[in-house]
Amino acid sequence: MIHDPRAAAWLVWLESSPVAVAMRQWLWLYPAVEVLHIAGIAALVGGAVMFDLRLLGVSRGLPVAALAAHLLPWARVGLGMVALSGALMFIAHATEWAQNPAFRVKLLLIAAAGANAWAFHRWPFRAVARWDRDLPAPAHARVAALLSMILWLSVIACGRLLAYL
Amino acid sequence: MTVRTVTAPFALVLAVAVTLAAAPHASAHHGWSGYDSGTTLNLTGTIKEAGYEHPHGYVQLQVPGKTWRVVLAPPSRMENRGLPRTALSPGKTVTVVGYPNRTDPEEMRAERITVDGKTTELR
Repeated sequence: MIHDPRAAAWLVWLESSPVAVAMRQWLWLYPAVEVLHIAGIAALVGGAVMFDLRLLGVSRGLPVAALAAHLLPWARVGLGMVALSGALMFIAHATEWAQNPAFRVKLLLIAAAGANAWAFHRWPFRAVARWDRDLPAPAHARVAALLSMILWLSVIACGRLLAYL
Repeated sequence: MTVRTVTAPFALVLAVAVTLAAAPHASAHHGWSGYDSGTTLNLTGTIKEAGYEHPHGYVQLQVPGKTWRVVLAPPSRMENRGLPRTALSPGKTVTVVGYPNRTDPEEMRAERITVDGKTTELR
């Protein structure tokens, strides 16, 4: 493999590691990791968006707290799957991805989605008992839900654009 | 799981993003749209170096006066179509037909490759 001569040493070290070489050279490892990434996206973004839709007023008869208890642990499992598979794909071509503008934007969007989820759990969700079912969620919960959907879909878009920019 | 344990990975992601923002910028290259299909190149040369690698294999192809980086197909596809790793060993003479990268004058993407008298479609 030819490393970009301007690349940072830690990125070159990452993509020279045995795991990175295996990712590039084992015939079916890379596609298998891609499958894990896509399944993780389905669990993470699927769970998040289903929950967001409820916050926005869809299926208002479903209790929010119970829905959160059902969906969000699976979203966290999905987060673990995308983080692991994403890290593997990153180190396989660390110097190239590090320079990719879509990759940088993607990381910032993931951080923003995380901050949004944190703020939601820190504030509106604490008082969920007051609007658990049949009532509209408070405005800041709905804003968080809308932001969550926009951010996660943008993360997916950036992920796909990685290969085209 | 507490809010804090969920937040930690996101904080790590943010730290990496900020670190990478300081790295130099270069354009990458994937997908056929990055190549000018209006200009067909037909190159015969010697393999200087080969990578039977994901997401796309490549050879450094020495032709008179220039070395091209020739982007091939994913190794799993090449294997399925009868172009094993050994077919791309350095020193071999191969012919590729493909298109130049729109922005990188050193790179082309091959539509097909002929090695040892056998042509393999790569798309």
